[in-house]
Amino acid sequence: MPSDYDKEAYPEPPRQTPVVDKQTALPNPALILSKLFYYSVDLPVTTFRDVVDSIRAKNKPVYYHQKFRRVPDLTECQEGDYTCYYEAEMQWRRDYKVDQEIVKVVQERMRACQQREGFSYNQNCAKEIEQFNETMKNFQLRYGDLGAYASGRKCLMKQKERMIAAQAQNA
Amino acid sequence: MVAMSVLRAAAAFAARLSPLKSGNTAANLLTRAIPRADKVAVRWGHGKKMFVIKPSDYYDRRFLRLLQYYILLTGIPVAVIVTCVNVFIGEAELAEIPEGYEPEHWEYYQHPISRWIARTFYDSPVKDYEKMMAAIQIEKEKADMRLAELEVRRVMRQKGDGPWFQMETMDKTLIDYSPKSTPDN
Repeated sequence: MPSDYDKEAYPEPPRQTPVVDKQTALPNPALILSKLFYYSVDLPVTTFRDVVDSIRAKNKPVYYHQKFRRVPDLTECQEGDYTCYYEAEMQWRRDYKVDQEIVKVVQERMRACQQREGFSYNQNCAKEIEQFNETMKNFQLRYGDLGAYASGRKCLMKQKERMIAAQAQNA
Repeated sequence: MVAMSVLRAAAAFAARLSPLKSGNTAANLLTRAIPRADKVAVRWGHGKKMFVIKPSDYYDRRFLRLLQYYILLTGIPVAVIVTCVNVFIGEAELAEIPEGYEPEHWEYYQHPISRWIARTFYDSPVKDYEKMMAAIQIEKEKADMRLAELEVRRVMRQKGDGPWFQMETMDKTLIDYSPKSTPDN
């Protein structure tokens, strides 16, 4: 079976199944339906999966997560060194994608927290909400309005503008 | 009047019960005729054959038949192949890269068909990267050479001591230095 999700990031809410206190002799329809579901759907599906897994168990292929080396940034490239520009640009694009995925994960955690807590999410999920706000603010600051033709160079210019604005504010 | 309606109802009831009795036919009754739906000869087994006139659906059915045929001609083999690949070969699992091992470029994909396509048809992304860098390098050299040529032209035109921008003059030995009779000789 594929590996399970991170249990700390998405904690399960405490179980609320009541203690079985049967006071009638009549059969419990919920029990009957759950057993019916188990025998008609759950068991065949599980056995099918086990059969297919046993067929596939002989030589399982593996795949890896590609690791890229860090290359000099756009600020460390000589003027007119277009190959250096290209490598820096490709690295910036990879970092942009990684940052987008980070934002998605943080967003997913906040949504899961809200779903778990129900109506009291403002109070109970304060940490996740804080984390999400911070992440989004930083993402907007760095990659905010670059648009569809974003590039490392435009991002650098945006950073320069931010630094100028900060300096003008401090002065 | 009430008695009349009661009589009418009674006669209708009698007619309903036994319509073939002589006293109960419609002409005798003062009431509206009550049709008996269950005694009419309606049979659905082998009815009268009707010649229904409608426009030809041959072309429509032929189109749908051919559509089905040509879609399934490649659709069924593809479905069978993909099912067999998923059942017998199966998807890959994520693993850590072992020490000192450089995975092939197709080992970074999960599904076996993606791996096969990357292995058989595509160049590795490293090779694509290097190809792009080589193209950029060639273009850079071309641009540098063009700029250098412009600079060389400018300097040679200005100084005049280079091989370019030299105008060919006539042979000096052909000049006639002998004295002339008229100024315009």
